[in-house]
Amino acid sequence: MMKKNPRNKISINKLSKKACWLRNTVLEMGVKAGAAHLAPAFSCIEILTALYYGGILRFNPSDPGWGERDRFILSKGQAAIALYAVLADLNFFPLSELNSFTRAGSRLGGHAEDTVPGIEAFTGSLGNGLAIASGLALAAKMDKKKYIAAALLGDGECEEGSVWEAAMFAAHHKLNNLTAIIDNNGLSAIDYIDKYISLAPLEEKWRAFGWEALVVNGHSFKEILAAFKYMRSRRSNKPLAIIAKTIKGKGVSFMENNPIWHYRIPAGKELKLARKELLPEK
Amino acid sequence: MKRWVLGMRDAFSGALFKIAKKDRRVILVTSDTGAICHDEFRSVLPGQYINIGIAEQNMIGVAAGLALAGKLAYAYALVPFATMRCYEQIRVDLCCMGLPVTVVGVGAGYDYSTLGPTHHGTEDIALMRVLPGMTIFSPSDSIMVEAIARISYESPGPKYIRLDRSGTPLIYRSRNKDFTRGAEVLRRGRDLCIIATGRMSYNAIKVADELARHAIRATVVDLYRIKPLPEDFLRENISKFPLVATMEEHFIDGGIGTVINEFLAGTSKKCFVKKFGIPDKFCRQYDGKREYLHRLMGLDIKEVSRTLLRMIKDESTFYI
Repeated sequence: MMKKNPRNKISINKLSKKACWLRNTVLEMGVKAGAAHLAPAFSCIEILTALYYGGILRFNPSDPGWGERDRFILSKGQAAIALYAVLADLNFFPLSELNSFTRAGSRLGGHAEDTVPGIEAFTGSLGNGLAIASGLALAAKMDKKKYIAAALLGDGECEEGSVWEAAMFAAHHKLNNLTAIIDNNGLSAIDYIDKYISLAPLEEKWRAFGWEALVVNGHSFKEILAAFKYMRSRRSNKPLAIIAKTIKGKGVSFMENNPIWHYRIPAGKELKLARKELLPEK
Repeated sequence: MKRWVLGMRDAFSGALFKIAKKDRRVILVTSDTGAICHDEFRSVLPGQYINIGIAEQNMIGVAAGLALAGKLAYAYALVPFATMRCYEQIRVDLCCMGLPVTVVGVGAGYDYSTLGPTHHGTEDIALMRVLPGMTIFSPSDSIMVEAIARISYESPGPKYIRLDRSGTPLIYRSRNKDFTRGAEVLRRGRDLCIIATGRMSYNAIKVADELARHAIRATVVDLYRIKPLPEDFLRENISKFPLVATMEEHFIDGGIGTVINEFLAGTSKKCFVKKFGIPDKFCRQYDGKREYLHRLMGLDIKEVSRTLLRMIKDESTFYI
């Protein structure tokens, strides 16, 4: 089925249910694998849900290489576990394959693998994705194609100088078909970002680099969808930065905003509690 | 008599321009490098030319994005910046994804002799050769460079081309030669084999001339594709010699001397490999000429010839 920027209204209630399913699926994938970036994935669940289920991105699961598709680059490649779950659910590949995450013979690696249908670029080395998305956006301009390029970055990732090289480049070339989504959860791998190298004022930084910048609540479908719809309809010659304020580990109380959960799997009582807290609302 | 023509850099730029005129997918991305040599490209094909600025990481990332969209990108900078400043992006964006991006490094070895170690290209072969899927070309004159430009355009996957900026003496006469083989025998002799790459291939011929004056006949091999190594060619042409010498304007550690050593160690042939290259130190001395640095490092024609003569006269140094 061709999904050309489907505008079919999907209720926020349905999106919330999908987000809940995704967190559960990601948790179980991680538990089965024994190692995964659960907390970094949980912080961007609503962003991915809105992009893929909210009628924002154009894609075609039966033809992943469809020329007019939008190009989404998961620059924070450690959240691949969540994107795999989205893509499998959308029939890019069999849902059952999620059980093989990082297991012997699987193509589902711990970081985004471009050999997986629906994954545009191999990422995992932070700071690389925005430049790749910029190249794709520039190519769209060269070829007069209508697709947009979007990259999802972590906020810790914005400490990489290469992000700002790409930011300068995109603004200079007026890549208004490019969006950087920043998963602004305030934590990097081992600490609170503001404690060791402050990114503030992040919004002003993007503006100073020649971008249009918005700040939204990254767990509010209402706000994220409004920002993404604006992304598709706006008229500007600037690239767009959407800074999504998020909570790392969102959904599991003891993981939320706690650095030790960057790359850790709950077990025993913790796992029981995580499962309980992620139960779908009745 | 030396036949000097335009340098490899200008020959490459001209050849790429001809290719790009016929194929709009070809995009030249430069990090504020090569102003004059790209003038024609820039003025005639502005839509296929991007000066990315002094931002090599972004240069490779953007080139990767262009390649994912079906373009054939050439990322152009001086050797150290084209290879080291953006090594991570070359490794992950280009090699992990096998993208058809050609990294072009200008200034092999001590080409920019007076600009010091920041601008010396002395580690690039070692760095590029450990990257899976990377093809490495190290052409030796401007006639070959034109062919390499064409080969890089026609072949898949990531490539690295190591170029001289300055004018180089011609080694090859015909543009129609097959340069897909990876190596070429420039001289045939029975006493020893000298394998050289890039600018040093010309010097290797001169060393062979010097040895000939002492009735020593050297085979000279121009190794212009370092990866994938033309193993069958080498097996056929070098494994019969008891003494193999390598010449390169690159650190001895990790360069073609290492490559040849590894190759020969994997065969049943026993021979001695004498590696001429840059010793394990940065060169921060200047006198205006590249040849001066060659002399300092024992890479000049006289010193290489003298060393080889000494070794051959005292066969016990290498006969096993």
